[in-house]
Amino acid sequence: MQARLESPPVIALLAAAGLFLCSLANALSRETRDPSQLIYWLGVLLIAVPIFLRLTSTQPSYRERLGLVLLLGLALYGVKIVHDAPLFTLSDEYIHAFNVQQIERFDHLYHFNPAISTSPYYPGLEGATSALTMLTGASTYLCGTILVGAARLVQMAALFFLFARLSGSARGAGLGVAVYTGTSNFLFWGAQFSYESFSLPLVCVVLMAFVEREEAPPRLRGAWAVPIVLGILAITITHHLSSYALAIIFVALSVLYWVMKVEKPNPWPFAVLAVGSAAAWLLIAAESTTGYLFPVLENAIKAIYETAFGDTEARQLFGSPSDTAEAVAGTPIGARAIALLAIAVLGVISLIGLRQVWRRERRKPLVIIFCAFTVAFFAALTLRFAPAAWETGNRAGGYFFIGLSFVAIYGTARLLRRGPHLMRRRLLLTGALAVVLVGGAISGWSWDLQLARPLKASAGGRDIFSEPLALAEFAKQRLDGSRFAGPEADARILLFPGGQVAYGGQGPDIEDIVDEPVLRDWQLPLLERNHLPYLIADRRLLSEDTLRGQYFSVKDQYGNELRPQGVVHKFSEIPVGRVWQGGRIVLFNLQDRP
Amino acid sequence: MRGHRDLQWACLAAVACALVAALVPLGMVRLIAGLPLTLFLPGYAIVAAAFGSRELAPPKRTTLSFAVSLMVLALGSFVLNIFPFGLETASWAVLLPLVVIAACRGAALRRERPQRARAGRPALPRPATGSLVLGALAAAIALGALALSERPLPAENAKGFTALWMLPTDKREDVVAIGLDSNQHEPRSYRLRVSLGKDQSKTYRVELDPGEERVYEVDVPPKPVGRTHVVASLYKEGEPQKLYRRVTSWLPRQMTFP
Repeated sequence: MQARLESPPVIALLAAAGLFLCSLANALSRETRDPSQLIYWLGVLLIAVPIFLRLTSTQPSYRERLGLVLLLGLALYGVKIVHDAPLFTLSDEYIHAFNVQQIERFDHLYHFNPAISTSPYYPGLEGATSALTMLTGASTYLCGTILVGAARLVQMAALFFLFARLSGSARGAGLGVAVYTGTSNFLFWGAQFSYESFSLPLVCVVLMAFVEREEAPPRLRGAWAVPIVLGILAITITHHLSSYALAIIFVALSVLYWVMKVEKPNPWPFAVLAVGSAAAWLLIAAESTTGYLFPVLENAIKAIYETAFGDTEARQLFGSPSDTAEAVAGTPIGARAIALLAIAVLGVISLIGLRQVWRRERRKPLVIIFCAFTVAFFAALTLRFAPAAWETGNRAGGYFFIGLSFVAIYGTARLLRRGPHLMRRRLLLTGALAVVLVGGAISGWSWDLQLARPLKASAGGRDIFSEPLALAEFAKQRLDGSRFAGPEADARILLFPGGQVAYGGQGPDIEDIVDEPVLRDWQLPLLERNHLPYLIADRRLLSEDTLRGQYFSVKDQYGNELRPQGVVHKFSEIPVGRVWQGGRIVLFNLQDRP
Repeated sequence: MRGHRDLQWACLAAVACALVAALVPLGMVRLIAGLPLTLFLPGYAIVAAAFGSRELAPPKRTTLSFAVSLMVLALGSFVLNIFPFGLETASWAVLLPLVVIAACRGAALRRERPQRARAGRPALPRPATGSLVLGALAAAIALGALALSERPLPAENAKGFTALWMLPTDKREDVVAIGLDSNQHEPRSYRLRVSLGKDQSKTYRVELDPGEERVYEVDVPPKPVGRTHVVASLYKEGEPQKLYRRVTSWLPRQMTFP
């Protein structure tokens, strides 16, 4: 009976049923029925727990374990898809989808993006997506989803091979990948249509190819260098942070090979290539990256300093990351406890793992780097207390978690060593992995956003749209090629699917223009200087929140608080033409006046 | 490439997929042809060229094939961008088969000798009927989950609205289009009043079903001096004093900032 329940077809069936439960919970949420999140979490557990349990067993073959981790990756990616299909809804997705449209429109790369000006200079994902959209004729959403899904599968397989080769255990490799799914960005942020979702899997492939090359006979080393070199170059033009992370890893490896007098060839040529290509790309093509990245890192460092010395109040854990003053549903105490328990579980497994790894594998330079990553992961957790540094810590955690997952293999191996009560220990480990997965998902994504919100609904047999989406559809049909200024949530959806050039945020300072109820002297000249005739005045307090501001307002939920009437009236009183009004949102044309 | 059947098949498949993707107008057919051409074949050929006939376990070969294909797509866009024609359906449809053919040629040269038909090739284990049924059921449920997620559903508690808009229909700006776009859950009735300057006005009774859009075109008589202030005001039926939506324009538009 147990063998039947643990057979791959049954596990696949349970994973599909879990995915359906997630889809059902999201559907009920989109219907504004306020379903219990338990349905959703039950779905996630139904996907993962049978796979975790099977991975703890000694019975599965190498290929079955590989199949299981692929199924796990695919099904958990499905959780993201059923959350928001068939529209991109995560804040970075609008930006990259807009870049794809720009490539299709101009047949060339590097066309301007008003939201993140550096993003067109890392066109790997968008270029690849454009190949799919052009050759298949399918939508940007479908092609982007397929591409990120393929990258996700490649990442799962690469991690499995990497861990299997380094640890010498397929069982350990499967468990290591299972631990990796507990990284806080795995379920949503890391699965969105964004450059890092494409580059991080390639980083895993390069590391896998490097390890395989190290273990391969000399005649095969040249062959393994091919994916490493192609990978380094592809990552360089895809994502800045990934290329820097890879360069740092190769530099560290080169130094360790030299210091430890490793008998295998020093990987310095790869280090030179990774550093050289990242630096060359930064200097030649993507100079604006410094202006984009360095302020973020500078603010993070400042925030750490100020929080540590009490100049700034520490960030409240599980607090809403919403940019607005409007309170959103907080994380329940039980969920917080699971997230903290997940950290504790990871801490225990890592501690045991580090001890074992240090005893058995410390002659391998990459293993030492992975150990350092494990320590760095826990150090990065402290960044979550610093208001301007929590995101940096959260994003860095995705890279550090690769090392932690490897170290965790040795921690789990201690628990699964031969002896009495093996089944109980397997169940205990399965439970621990489930806690890590769910805890990671809770700490990485706001509680109120775990379930989908209505963006598009049906009424009387037709589709109806939320106000920002209706504006974007109007602009796409009637104002194509225009330039807009507006709150960030509206600006993002105007980028895609609206297909317009829409500015929001602070560069230039559109945020103050659209959020302040009083028209100041500098505001109209700034809009004129930036050639922004269309202005979106939005009274919704959530209009600056790029994760929440694009949906329907729902009765008795957050999203109903308003800014002062002045945010609209100040433009009416100039006076200028009102092109579109949907209720809370008014579109003005500043060039239409008496 | 004689004797290397896998390489021959890869080249043929790449050319056939490229032709179908570039020339066939049917979306689903293009998708079926485009996916292997973009996501698998370039990587397969390059991995074959890199490793020659030397042993690489099938799972790793397959993974590398997909991974290297993704790398080729990213780098290919960079290469195509150098040329004046840039990234187009035709340029991708030429580049990817070229990569596949060149790499397969390289692989054929590197392989020690043509592979003969492998009589003793181990057969893949045949799945049991029960496993097939369960697998099919799992696939059906997963597809059901995806279908459910894509379906717009009634959201009774979501606040509906009707949008009003106004734009000139052409460059002469002597006609405006005034549109009403219902995003309400129920049919609604409105009164639309359009005033043209101080003297003229028109009123329309409008009934809109959910999701329906109605557009009215209104002539704007030219004014000897100055601009005509066009105002469209929308009132809910039964609430004639309470303004629901208003859009305005001064025609012809100035096209300069205040």
